[in-house]
Amino acid sequence: MSLVEIRGLSKKFGNNVVLDHVDLDIQKGEVVAIIGPSGTGKSTLLRCTNLLEKPESGTITIDGKKYELTTKSSKEKLALRQHTEMVFQQFNLFKQKTALENVMEGLVVVKKLSREEARKIALEQLDKVGMTDRIYHYPKHLSGGQQQRVAISRALAMQPQLLLMDEPTSALDPELVNEVLVTIRRAAQEGNTILLVTHEMGFVKSVANRIIFLENGRIVEDGTPKDIFENPKSDRLKEFLININMLEGLEYSI
Amino acid sequence: MANLFDLELVFAQIPTILQSLPVTLELTAIALVIGLMVGLLIAIIRTNKVPVLTQISIFFVSFMRGTPIIVQLYLAYFGIPIALKYVNFYYGTDYNINGIPGIVFAMVALGLNQSAFDSETIRAAIQSVDKGQIEAAKSMGMSGWKVLKRVIIPQAGSVAILPLGNSLISLIKGTSLAFTCSVIEITAQGKILAGKNYRYFEVYCSLAIIYWVITIILEQILKRLETKVSIPDEVPERDSNGKIIKTKKIKKSTRSLKGLPDPGGV
Repeated sequence: MSLVEIRGLSKKFGNNVVLDHVDLDIQKGEVVAIIGPSGTGKSTLLRCTNLLEKPESGTITIDGKKYELTTKSSKEKLALRQHTEMVFQQFNLFKQKTALENVMEGLVVVKKLSREEARKIALEQLDKVGMTDRIYHYPKHLSGGQQQRVAISRALAMQPQLLLMDEPTSALDPELVNEVLVTIRRAAQEGNTILLVTHEMGFVKSVANRIIFLENGRIVEDGTPKDIFENPKSDRLKEFLININMLEGLEYSI
Repeated sequence: MANLFDLELVFAQIPTILQSLPVTLELTAIALVIGLMVGLLIAIIRTNKVPVLTQISIFFVSFMRGTPIIVQLYLAYFGIPIALKYVNFYYGTDYNINGIPGIVFAMVALGLNQSAFDSETIRAAIQSVDKGQIEAAKSMGMSGWKVLKRVIIPQAGSVAILPLGNSLISLIKGTSLAFTCSVIEITAQGKILAGKNYRYFEVYCSLAIIYWVITIILEQILKRLETKVSIPDEVPERDSNGKIIKTKKIKKSTRSLKGLPDPGGV
């Protein structure tokens, strides 16, 4: 059985259908990248998975536990959110807390660990992302790349069964992208299950073991990086890859 | 022209007036707490657009801001006993209306008046909190209450602290109207004193000095509070346990004060 099973996920903004009965299975340890043109619901898919957006319909099963995504019960929402953690495009660190306190926050407040235990875990995680020398820095004292590395260690410290990453490098200066990609790659190699939205195609090619091409709220293609980048089946995917310079124009057939 | 202005008396009667200072402070403290509590409640109701309660809140804030505080004090002073009489009459209860000390009316009126103003400050501060951080807290698995306590209040608090300090300072001075509810705080005490010796101008001079000094002390406290909640401009130095080491600047200045040579560097 898959670790995560999403069934019949639909979301509308007004009359605009963003997600149209999406079904998605994710195996444990898989790194799944969602690609597609802008406005096709990539981020919305992620945000519906932990109920930051409220979908019209859909269920999700994580680790054998089934949740209605339309649930109104805040208890159920909390239970669902504890399976997942999210890394945001804009980092969203708590700006009033130091890097260390940011990573400790969830451990102390949600997991109810003692401050000593939380501190130990947080220091370990910050060490992994190479932030040991900046644990007492506030977000405003850190560069974008450093903030995102703290945000990733904040998410990983909670040991989520599914890590959601919403365009983690899109808000960064080009020269800072790499340090974050290195961090994500390490998280992937450590066996974390990751659902990732990104525009870094080169990175997706080398890190993801599965790619989903989403368009107009539907999954158009689903396959390994090799399938997607070397043998795209649908014309729409070919067109997309040409537009982002990942495919030679000559192979495009009408 | 003898003794047109008795400067000595201005200072000589300050200790007598200060006998009522505890009443002023008590009134201020309780009105402050009522103001912040009710203000926060109204702010939360209005931010979340709770039906019915929002409309009541808007009406309440509009009324409280639209009527003078002295009128509100009279309304509380005469209105609450009338309301209690009705309650006694219709429910057969036996509340002792005359047993309520005047200060209670003043606390209620000043507190509610504060809450109307504070609610708008707090609402603006809540709206200034970055939505992304609220989402981050939610996706971490924090309940709504925890998000409020751990993310919204600390951040909104640091934004609201200046305007709330302003409103606290005006509250202190607002307590001088509590005489209308037969509360003897410092202004009332001064008026009583002047009633005996007819030295009204001197008494008001004494009162001006007292209020000013109280406000200066408050300003200092607020200033410290503000630096405490704000994020430092520079990364503070810490020892191995994570305790903040006082910055070099302070060390340097104390050294030069003592006439010691500056060691230079750390």
